[in-house]
Amino acid sequence: MERHDAIVIGAGLNGLVAAAYLARAGLSVLVLDRASAQGGIAAEHEVAPGYRLPRFTLGSGGLPPRIAADLDLPRHGLRFIRAEGGVTCFPDGGYHASYRDGIVHRREIARFSRRDADAFTRYRRDMLRAAGGLAPLLAGPAHTPARGIFGGLRARLSLADRIAAIAPGDLRDILRLWTLPASDFLDAYFESDAVKAHLAAAAMMGGTLGPRTPASASRLVFPWLSESGDATGGAPETLMPFGGPAALVQALTSVILASGGRLRMEAEVTDIRIKDRKVQGVVLANGEEIGAGAVLSGLDVKRSFLSLFQWKDLPEGLVERVGRVRMKGVAAKVNMALDAAPVFPGLPEGCPSLGGGLRLAGPIPAMERAWADWRERMPPRDPLIEILMPSFLDPSLAPRGGHVLSALVQYVPEVLHEGPWPVERRDALGDLVMTRLAEVSPGIGKHVVALEVLLPNDVENEIGLTGGDFAYGETTLDQMFANRPFPGMGGAETPLRNFYLCSPSAHPGPLVMGGAGANAASTLLGRLGKAVRA
Amino acid sequence: MTPDTAPPNEHPDIEIDLGSEQATVDPALFEEVPAEPPFARTVHTTPLHIVTSAESRTNRWTDWNGYTVPEVLTDLGDEYRALRGAAALADHSPLVKYRIFGRDALDYLQRLVTRDLAALEVDTAVHVVFCEGRGLVLGDGLLFRLGEEEYRLVTEETHLAWMMDSGEGFRVGIADVSATLALLSLQGPLSALCLHEAGVANIDGLAPFAARWADIARMPVYVSRTGASGDLGYELWADAEDAPHLWRHLMEKGAPHGLRATGFALRELARLEAGFPRAGKDYLSALAAVASAGASTPFELWRNPLVASGKAVFNGGRALRSLAPVPPRRRLVVLVADALEPVSLSSVLSGTRQVGTVTTSGFSPALGANIAFAMVEDEAADGELALTATLREGLGAREVVLRARILPAPLKP
Repeated sequence: MERHDAIVIGAGLNGLVAAAYLARAGLSVLVLDRASAQGGIAAEHEVAPGYRLPRFTLGSGGLPPRIAADLDLPRHGLRFIRAEGGVTCFPDGGYHASYRDGIVHRREIARFSRRDADAFTRYRRDMLRAAGGLAPLLAGPAHTPARGIFGGLRARLSLADRIAAIAPGDLRDILRLWTLPASDFLDAYFESDAVKAHLAAAAMMGGTLGPRTPASASRLVFPWLSESGDATGGAPETLMPFGGPAALVQALTSVILASGGRLRMEAEVTDIRIKDRKVQGVVLANGEEIGAGAVLSGLDVKRSFLSLFQWKDLPEGLVERVGRVRMKGVAAKVNMALDAAPVFPGLPEGCPSLGGGLRLAGPIPAMERAWADWRERMPPRDPLIEILMPSFLDPSLAPRGGHVLSALVQYVPEVLHEGPWPVERRDALGDLVMTRLAEVSPGIGKHVVALEVLLPNDVENEIGLTGGDFAYGETTLDQMFANRPFPGMGGAETPLRNFYLCSPSAHPGPLVMGGAGANAASTLLGRLGKAVRA
Repeated sequence: MTPDTAPPNEHPDIEIDLGSEQATVDPALFEEVPAEPPFARTVHTTPLHIVTSAESRTNRWTDWNGYTVPEVLTDLGDEYRALRGAAALADHSPLVKYRIFGRDALDYLQRLVTRDLAALEVDTAVHVVFCEGRGLVLGDGLLFRLGEEEYRLVTEETHLAWMMDSGEGFRVGIADVSATLALLSLQGPLSALCLHEAGVANIDGLAPFAARWADIARMPVYVSRTGASGDLGYELWADAEDAPHLWRHLMEKGAPHGLRATGFALRELARLEAGFPRAGKDYLSALAAVASAGASTPFELWRNPLVASGKAVFNGGRALRSLAPVPPRRRLVVLVADALEPVSLSSVLSGTRQVGTVTTSGFSPALGANIAFAMVEDEAADGELALTATLREGLGAREVVLRARILPAPLKP
């Protein structure tokens, strides 16, 4: 029987990061995926011949420099583009853009309110402070109080130290951030509805909270996590891998292969062999068995436990706890191929911020109504839409003159109140997106070569992501840090020996790209007594 | 006039008088909110750009509050000699200017700033500091009382959000008048003479920090005896459209007495010698300092900060009263390091331990030494101090340690 030190299930981004770390540490690693190409939800897809984009995600976001350096990714061809923070277009024809340059960004805000232009200084300070407090918690494995008496104690003490060192005023700021609705939080800084809507729209994307839902303020800090704080800067930047997520996947694959790891596509794992609560290996769909010292699952937490194991093999209560993890689809993906560059007459010509994406959003009350529709499982009437045209920055993604357009439609329920999505509702959603797009780019409909609409349910069916939840589990405080994916299992280690979770269902979730994979690898290597080879 | 209605053989531009600056000043250059998108223009100029750019022999420009201003117009040494020996004219329009007016203006300002303003008379100015609730400095500036219920606050950075938030409950209006008000700084021992020559009568009668309206070449100008040079000097507040004419007029009348146009580098050097810290450079506003240790109290920044004891309530008052008797943890001091040439200074050492950081540095021709603002731990400030400097020779760089001493009082030239 074939046997490896470690098997990684799922060649998604985090699976590949974990495999790369393990392979570089000298382990024999095998990555298995049922799809024919690597990438998981970030896999590249041809929406029409020659038009390439990531099928399920927008594909923005950068790896933390630590992971890129550990894995030597620049040497394997990975480059990142630093784009501006993006533009929000409002229904009244106005827009608000983000700029990295502090003076330019302040002038932008001053178009709406001079007072708010000045208030941005304090907002930026508070966001950077919050991000600075959050960054160490997200950088490594979660501090799980339950595990290892001494390690746990030390972690708990260091956490207690850190909390004790927080000044009372700062503690109040932390509390505000983690409890308040985004709208109330922003009201404490800004007066302009456009400024607030621009910040809220960027923050609400990908989350299950509305701008007026308690605790949604915490999402405001996420775009600032990778910013470094000099005193005069502007809005946070957007990082994008040059060549799209496909380039990132390719670089990671190249690292794995160069370090002696192996990848097998079209190899679906259907079962995990377990004996005395110790994982022994995997069984493929074709009946083939492969032995492994450790198995790392890049699937979401529900799929990892509920579909790979016989439930009778799982420890008591685990099935229930995994079942209670909240994973809810919140966005539909619309992919488009265009035979010409879309024009946006409402935006200034050559607006550099467009490279960081375009959001179509109403003011905060409209966003909240869109969220309420989602909660009531209504088909969206006025959703929040985020658009990225990666071919603007990287023309190789489309045939000459053509463009690819990715849109995430936020607040799309998995199942409607009336039942599963009927075909006409799906078509209506596609039409709604086209109508909203045509409002900011008249005539764009004439240039559409291909269009596909992927509902949360399609994402689940095609890629196996439960609920089509791109966050791999809600990112609310009760499902973050040591509580991710559920209290008692914080981090990559699972109640089953030799079985690790390397998907964003584990800490740090979707907040740090590749973070879950890196954590799983370092946890396993720590168990094996090996150091991470940088 | 469209081309087909224009009479033949007549140049359509003929009506524009090329000799008049007004015709060539682009009003959009200093508009409050430019119509174009913010990214489109990276060079923003002040109303005086037309005259300063004409004076520039070096083409060296720098950014001040988002505006492009001359760094050095001719030669820093010459400009310095003019400032200390005759008179120097500079464009200080990038400073932020707020108009504060209304029935409660005085009450409001009493709440905003730390010092007591009860004795502030019309047509005088005072240096003010304003703090947030924990007694950390937000900014400092010059406050003018222009009328009974009319004030002007001049600061280095914008504070509109804080000022409006503090204004809750007061019948007060706050307006940012930075765009419409140009500021010419005329400093130096012969500055009064230059003003006299320019037609300002009885300028010697103007006491320090006093101000009055004057008529210069039929332009209304508010003249104040203020400035951050530590020397005799005046600031001239004029309408943005008048400013280039006023500049020309002053240069014409003052040049025979040694008046020179000067740039931003000289302002930095002069304020360093005179001991005026600059917001954003020597200290960070408490609302901008990401690390809470990056913010400072007034006791750390000024030797004798004016914190009122009689005033009932003002922003940061309670915190400042409890801070006042405690020696500050660190102090902003002016250090002098003997070296015959300008060097680049970075950190302050006491023995081998770093006890501070240099925030601004320059070479003072008056002292013949390097001079620097540095935030230094209070305990170390009384002991022996040294500065690390980088000396460049050819392509090589050498770290040296220079002995430094604290300048006890601002330089009196």
